[in-house]
Amino acid sequence: MASVTVKDIRKTYGDLEVIHGLNLEIEDGAFVVLLGPSGCGKSTLLRMIAGLEPITHGEISIGGQVVNDLHPKDRNIAMVFQNYALYAHMKVFENMAFSMRLKKTPQAEIEKKVNWAAEILNLVPYLNRQPKQLSGGQRQRVAMGRAIVRNPQVFLFDEPLSNLDAKLRVQMRTEIKELHQRLKTTTVYVTHDQIEAMTMADRIVILRDGYIEQIGAPMEVYNRPANLFVAEFIGSPGINLVRGEVAAENGAPVLRAEGIAIPLPTAAKLAPGQKIVYGIRPEHLVPAHGGAGIPAKVSVVEPTGPEMHIYTDLAGTEVCAVSRDHLDYGPGQDIRLSPMLDQVHLFDQESGKAIGR
Amino acid sequence: MQGPRFTRILRDITAVLVVGIFMFPIFWWGLTSIKPISAIFNKDEVVFFDFEPTLVNYQVVLFGKSRAELAIESGSTFGVGGGSTYDSRKTILDSTLVAVGSTALTVFLGVIAAYALSRINFRGRQAYLNWILSQRFMPPIAIIVPIVFMYHYAGLRDTITGLIFIHTLINLPIAVLLMKSFFDDVPVDVDEAAMLDGATRFQIFRKVILPLVTGGVAATAVLCFVFSWTEFLLSLFLTNQIRTLPVKISTFVTSTGSEWGFISALGTSAIVPSFIFILLVQKQLVRGLTLGSLKD
Repeated sequence: MASVTVKDIRKTYGDLEVIHGLNLEIEDGAFVVLLGPSGCGKSTLLRMIAGLEPITHGEISIGGQVVNDLHPKDRNIAMVFQNYALYAHMKVFENMAFSMRLKKTPQAEIEKKVNWAAEILNLVPYLNRQPKQLSGGQRQRVAMGRAIVRNPQVFLFDEPLSNLDAKLRVQMRTEIKELHQRLKTTTVYVTHDQIEAMTMADRIVILRDGYIEQIGAPMEVYNRPANLFVAEFIGSPGINLVRGEVAAENGAPVLRAEGIAIPLPTAAKLAPGQKIVYGIRPEHLVPAHGGAGIPAKVSVVEPTGPEMHIYTDLAGTEVCAVSRDHLDYGPGQDIRLSPMLDQVHLFDQESGKAIGR
Repeated sequence: MQGPRFTRILRDITAVLVVGIFMFPIFWWGLTSIKPISAIFNKDEVVFFDFEPTLVNYQVVLFGKSRAELAIESGSTFGVGGGSTYDSRKTILDSTLVAVGSTALTVFLGVIAAYALSRINFRGRQAYLNWILSQRFMPPIAIIVPIVFMYHYAGLRDTITGLIFIHTLINLPIAVLLMKSFFDDVPVDVDEAAMLDGATRFQIFRKVILPLVTGGVAATAVLCFVFSWTEFLLSLFLTNQIRTLPVKISTFVTSTGSEWGFISALGTSAIVPSFIFILLVQKQLVRGLTLGSLKD
């Protein structure tokens, strides 16, 4: 187990810089998720930590040792790939034993370690099978087994669940988290799925276009997004955003957008006329009764079981409200929505940065 | 239901017909080889089974008996040809050596070249690939004269080694391109996983990637073998004493007539070694096809 330090890392392909000076400190035993849309550089960063991609500029150290010029096999790391990358011609046992065979580990020790890993991962009945005889989830477990038998300092996961179906993905998510809690090995996990990131991570690193947008614990990132990008990327259904201008109405600050006025939290430092983006998560926007709230028109209602997603048209913007109550709304109906003022996120329109935080 | 059953019957009939069309020439060739001359050259009717089977043709091409000898043995006069020999045992041996040798060399060179082209990123890789492909555009007849001279001065004319080299030269482009596509089908992640597991480049190639493409190697080997086994033009120009099967068979067509009996007997015999070779690699061929995808 070891910490990982990424210091001023840059990556260029020819003239194109794809990673622009990242700094990241991953503590020993942490589960860090690199999250971002495709092309944000998260996989490239992971591959640089693994040593599969040369580092253009900067320094990566694992356990205090700079590994820039170290061959991947000497970094004492293990990686799990999206497509499992199993050795299809070897049985499950041999897949897991491969690294030890290369090191000429005695057979007794190989057996001990593989059996230990197989037990953790529930693979004991499959040790004598070929990878092609296994399901996707089992294959991914073999890939993890191959990683854990080596007892590495750091685990790297490159979108390991993307090839699995939705149900299996949820199950494997829990298994990976359990594995981490059991082994306490420092883990760096790359995904584009924000739910995976939210559910598994100790800390989420959100990347965009080769820059880090925010680093924080899942709930911190969710509740206090540093900018518009993070706010939009995290959360499902996504955060509601309304663009407008700050104005004062009866002495209280409001957001004017398309002829409607939305109350703003008084604590925020805002200047009249300032162009801002008003953000509120669907669960903080509740259908109001009586005359209170902002008027909107229902367009689609989606019951998910535990809650209802009500999509509405609020001054030309699509806004979603989530309600745990079973409400009887239909398309075209008028609705009044009342935002929880203390849960409002305000962003500067130009820079996209959060205001008043 | 009438529909599906009718379709099934139609499909079976079509399959039998297609196989029949492909198999008939081989069958006819085999049949011709055991016919006496009178049955081969019957211009009044097509002879199928209405003849006295004879192994005379095989005795001539495979056991080195001359016609005169056979005529004396059987106590009858036996057409033209007299004492000349059509013994082809050495031809079969030569052909086998050339085909096996050139196949082995082609597959060896092709596999390592294709692995490099598939996995190692070097300057001019695409140009190099195109250049390899362009070698395939070249018809052998266009370069035969310079090659004859080169072979003459290099002392390779009329040698097994020389034939192995020239067949390798012709086969190599297709072997490289074919093998490259098989290597390309194996995700690079597998190489990387092995690299992280501590394997060296050579260990990755030898222990991980090569076993995954055995099917491709088998397919390439079959292609190369069949090409070499049937190659005529280059072998004809580059040899005098050593004769490969196609060249030897062509010598049975003479100014005084074609020895159809001998041609068919040698042709039928020529099927056997290539048949054995394909049987040997067939297991790998099927295995390679089913091992296939690593993902799903």
